[in-house]
Amino acid sequence: MVAARSRRGGKRQSARTEPHRPRPALLRAGLVLAGAGLGAVTALAITDETGAELRAPGGVMTFLGSLTGLVGTYLALLMVLLVSRIPAIERVLGQDGLLRWHRRLAPWPISLLLAHALFITVGYAQAARAGLGRQVAVLLTRYPDVLIATVGLGIMCAIGAISIRAIRRRLRRETWWLVHLYMYLALALSFAHVLALGPSFVSHPLTQIVWSVAWAATAGLVLCYRFGLPVVRSLRHRLVVHEVRREGPGVVSVICSGRRLDKLAIAGGQFFLWRFLTRSMWWQAHPYTMSARPQPPYVRLTVKAVGDHSAAVARLRPGTRIVIEGPYGAFTRFAQQRPQVLLVAAGIGVTALRSLLEDLPRNSAPVVVLRGTGPEDLVLRTEVAELVRHRRGRLHELVGPREQARLDERSLQRLVPDLHRRDIYVCGPEGFVTSIVEAAARLGLSSEAVHHEAYAL
Amino acid sequence: MKRAGWYVIAGFAAGFAGMAGLHGMGAAAPAALRQPKSASTGASAVPSAPARTTGPAARAGSSGPVRTATGIVEQYGYGELAVTVTARGNQITSVSVPLLRTAEPYSQQLAQQVIPMLRAEVLAAHGAQIHGVSGATYTSVAYAQSIQSALDKLHIK
Repeated sequence: MVAARSRRGGKRQSARTEPHRPRPALLRAGLVLAGAGLGAVTALAITDETGAELRAPGGVMTFLGSLTGLVGTYLALLMVLLVSRIPAIERVLGQDGLLRWHRRLAPWPISLLLAHALFITVGYAQAARAGLGRQVAVLLTRYPDVLIATVGLGIMCAIGAISIRAIRRRLRRETWWLVHLYMYLALALSFAHVLALGPSFVSHPLTQIVWSVAWAATAGLVLCYRFGLPVVRSLRHRLVVHEVRREGPGVVSVICSGRRLDKLAIAGGQFFLWRFLTRSMWWQAHPYTMSARPQPPYVRLTVKAVGDHSAAVARLRPGTRIVIEGPYGAFTRFAQQRPQVLLVAAGIGVTALRSLLEDLPRNSAPVVVLRGTGPEDLVLRTEVAELVRHRRGRLHELVGPREQARLDERSLQRLVPDLHRRDIYVCGPEGFVTSIVEAAARLGLSSEAVHHEAYAL
Repeated sequence: MKRAGWYVIAGFAAGFAGMAGLHGMGAAAPAALRQPKSASTGASAVPSAPARTTGPAARAGSSGPVRTATGIVEQYGYGELAVTVTARGNQITSVSVPLLRTAEPYSQQLAQQVIPMLRAEVLAAHGAQIHGVSGATYTSVAYAQSIQSALDKLHIK
């Protein structure tokens, strides 16, 4: 394979910018820092409280209100940080790891902030000996910044509701994503009332400053890594579509050309978010894996038509300009814990596996399993076979309907007797990836040695 | 990530202890009452008259003419207030609050609950050296400050 050869020798190889190695210590530091912030805001809410305040009418409710408000807002800040794509953290967890945490934790800030609104309303109503409805009206009309904060909370809850799995599945990915962006607006709207009314902030210039700086820094990180860095990178490499090549039924490879691609620090198995600047596609970016390491001046991605966007990719014209965001993903050789690997891919998942293979050293003897319903589903199989042969590995092709060509504990053990000495890398549709991960767990393999990248439709 | 929870918990403990410690240092003594920051402003927001003194200079004892002075308008986090002191000689006979404005109704309620208690404290202490009401520290500080400035105008120690 050309790609393999160019990796091994020549001047170009030495000039190539190597991808950054993930540093788990940075993630640990981040976790400690996040925990410290949580501890600090909790302490802030609690130490501000006195016994007399708690005993006063509505005191307990008001206290719970400020506690849930502070903690909820802090968690919302962490949610923003989780999707701000800070490279040091992203390299360790991977984009899908970050999103998984984001998805898992996101219900907390939303419910805490909702609880905050309820507690405060009830607490103030008790203090004023007023009815709830009356108190709501008073809060909205006579308290500074509460009205817009309530609008923010409403937006937040609406976005939370459409993110519930059952509802989200009915929405188009693009629609959901665009609506989701309004979360930034919701957070901005609720910022002012914290400083104007929060007992920990009023007349506390220090906490006001620290709080404002934390939010400004978070906004800065988002702007920098979600907007600035992609723009800089795209301008630097100036990728354009060079050629669209058919690889199989519904599968195309897009060869892109660009400048200084040897400076693009990418590890095999990583992906970019691709934004093709055509009239209908410029506004959305989609994750596609590079199906080979860059060979300057070209990079290649391979895409299967499963949605509107991927179908439109097949119709791209040469010369179309591209904006890239990335590289993302922890599905790389750096994740490897054990001496050898087993690579498993289903369908178009082969792309990540194909570029990952390139990163493996000679004689690394990888075992590769490709899974497809029909022979035509095994795209890039000749390239994979070539790469495997170079590394003295074994390639298994499992073709047939799911029931006949099963991939479970038994077949895994039969195909790969030395499984306990290998890391498993799985890439494919979500259901497939889950089944392999579960099979590996049942075989007693440590989850640290199982790496996966699922692609959603 | 293995043991992610433990790192978060360790951080939480450190952050909690740190913040509680910081707060403890600041709040160990009723520092706010002892060294209040004066944040008086011009008369623009003041409907009632700024400080005015009536009657001649103070004389010792509780005899003499009745004099009245209004302290400076004290702004505190949730609002502003000013206190008027009436005295016969050096004896404070009554204290009232001609100006009370708050950012929102909750603080208004709180201040209205607290002001009678503060007045009782002042009358008992014969001066601005009051403990304040816990749970209403800002209001107490502002009250004590305004009283002090009124007393200064009346030359009452």
